[in-house]
Amino acid sequence: MKADKRTTQFARQLYKLSLGADGRLSSERVAAVLACIEKTKPARALALLQTYHRHLAAEVGRSQALIEHAGPVSDALVAQIAAAMTKKYNRPITPAPKPAPALLAGLRIRVGDDLYDASAHGALEQLATATTA
Amino acid sequence: MTVLEQVEAQIAQLSNRATKRNTGTIRSLADGVANIEGLSDVMYNEMVSFPGNAIGIALNLAQDEVGCIILGDIATLKEGDEVQTTGKLLSVPVGKALLGRVVDALGRPVDGKGPIDSKEACPVERIAPGIIARKSVSQPVFTGITAIDSMIPIGRGQRELIIGDRGTGKTTIAIDTIINQAKINKVGLATGDPKFRPIYSIYVAVGQKNSNIVRTIATLETAGALEYTIIVAAPAADNPANQYIAPFAGAAMGEWFMENDMDALIIYDDLSKHAVAYRQISLILKRPSGREAYPGDVFYLHSRLLERAARLDGKGSLTALPIVETLAGDISAYIPTNIISITDGQIFLETDLFNQGTRPAVSVGLSVSRVGSAAQIKATKQVGGKLKGELAQFRELAAFAQFGSDLDERTRKQLDRGARIVELFKQPASAPIPIEQQCVTLWAMQKGFYDALEIKNIIPAAKSLREFFATRKDPILAEIRAKSALDKDLESKIQAAVDEWKLTQPKA
Repeated sequence: MKADKRTTQFARQLYKLSLGADGRLSSERVAAVLACIEKTKPARALALLQTYHRHLAAEVGRSQALIEHAGPVSDALVAQIAAAMTKKYNRPITPAPKPAPALLAGLRIRVGDDLYDASAHGALEQLATATTA
Repeated sequence: MTVLEQVEAQIAQLSNRATKRNTGTIRSLADGVANIEGLSDVMYNEMVSFPGNAIGIALNLAQDEVGCIILGDIATLKEGDEVQTTGKLLSVPVGKALLGRVVDALGRPVDGKGPIDSKEACPVERIAPGIIARKSVSQPVFTGITAIDSMIPIGRGQRELIIGDRGTGKTTIAIDTIINQAKINKVGLATGDPKFRPIYSIYVAVGQKNSNIVRTIATLETAGALEYTIIVAAPAADNPANQYIAPFAGAAMGEWFMENDMDALIIYDDLSKHAVAYRQISLILKRPSGREAYPGDVFYLHSRLLERAARLDGKGSLTALPIVETLAGDISAYIPTNIISITDGQIFLETDLFNQGTRPAVSVGLSVSRVGSAAQIKATKQVGGKLKGELAQFRELAAFAQFGSDLDERTRKQLDRGARIVELFKQPASAPIPIEQQCVTLWAMQKGFYDALEIKNIIPAAKSLREFFATRKDPILAEIRAKSALDKDLESKIQAAVDEWKLTQPKA
């Protein structure tokens, strides 16, 4: 179900209400918003929840560094990456390591829309694009 | 470079450092337009890379999503696919290597003649030259069509609209102009004159049937004009994004000639279909619609395109001949009035005239060139300066003459002369007449050489006169070409030659 303009605006308002005083997502506030939706049952509830979920997912993506790695990664390296990203984006970034053997070697870090690729798979993909374009 | 060397060069280029990309996800996809979630760093008009080598242009930067038009094959794309920014503006190949080729809206060859060896590329969207860089229009572009060259002259760097209903010969005028440029180029380059400036042509086909484009290519090839022409094809079967971008791609190719001290002519065939393609994109992008459902910036769309045609001080020029199709001769519709106000004049083609057999069906009253006689050679001014006024008077008198049969001598003479001028201006397609031959035929008209002839015999007589000059009096034509003006000596030579030609004509 596609959200109309009103639903989109409402979902954005709910998302803003879900942010705490520090500008980060607050689980209590999100729970309160969900409880309110369940209680009041607004029109186009499904589309509203889907849009709200998209906003929350984007916010979660912005505040975490998804670290995909092919081989083993030490906790110290993960902490180092998190510290570097926190400094770069000027906001607290929490690390989320995830094994990804498809990368063959190296790392790939995603923070929000930004993708930092230092993997063998990425390099090969780049090579393929350059030679076939 | 061997295949192995190419791959090795690419490997060498790859650095070990991490690459940063700004990515997004396709949320919806329809009619060549994708709505993308993410792409937080994307710039307006930036190229966006889609899977499968398709590229898009970011046109709508909204709060939650980015609206992109997709150029190329969209069949393999689906919702959820990842896209990424490139940090570049859309560019097309430019240069002389494109001459004689048929390319798509992205400058890729579609004529099966192999890859194009182009060394340079230019951005499709560019700011038009400013006031200081420009120079006033004063050099002519000869169309080879007597009615236009004598009454509605076009200059290098001018924007002259060709407007009329469907099937009135708009494209024919454009093609004839391209053919005439090729003929002039061949003659001029053969003389080896260092001052000669050839005009290269770019024909942009927007939203046309493929069969029509093939016919145009065949006409140009037969006339030997394709070698001086680039054809940018965005046919009706292409997605609206390609149709939208094609005129801008053509303008980028034309600008290259202008910037590199050469002259170019660009035909946009046609901008009504271009506006329709842009309307389609805008409606899918959910931009607010205005009059006739066109978006609010449809004027800006065409003004920024046509403003790129200019004559640059110390450099070359780009002349634009946009074509617009009207419905039932209504030039006061939205898109025609917009483009009329942007251009430096218009050639209006009338359906009634066309059906009466007056071809090219140029309406003298509604056609104008705002550059005026500044873009005419002196010889044409001397022989055809009064023609427009005479023809306009003729049309007026002809309308009144229908109400009564008693006409005074003066009116009858004016009507008779007008009918002869109309007849003299009739010209078949793909047969442009060199300007010096036009001067001779108009001179003969001015001096009353056709007055004794029956009106139906004027066209054969004019043709015979031109052939006589081309085959037996070429030095006179060469002198007109060189002097670009008729002095007393030259006029007496023309007089003698026309008298000689008269003797060859059968007695009535």
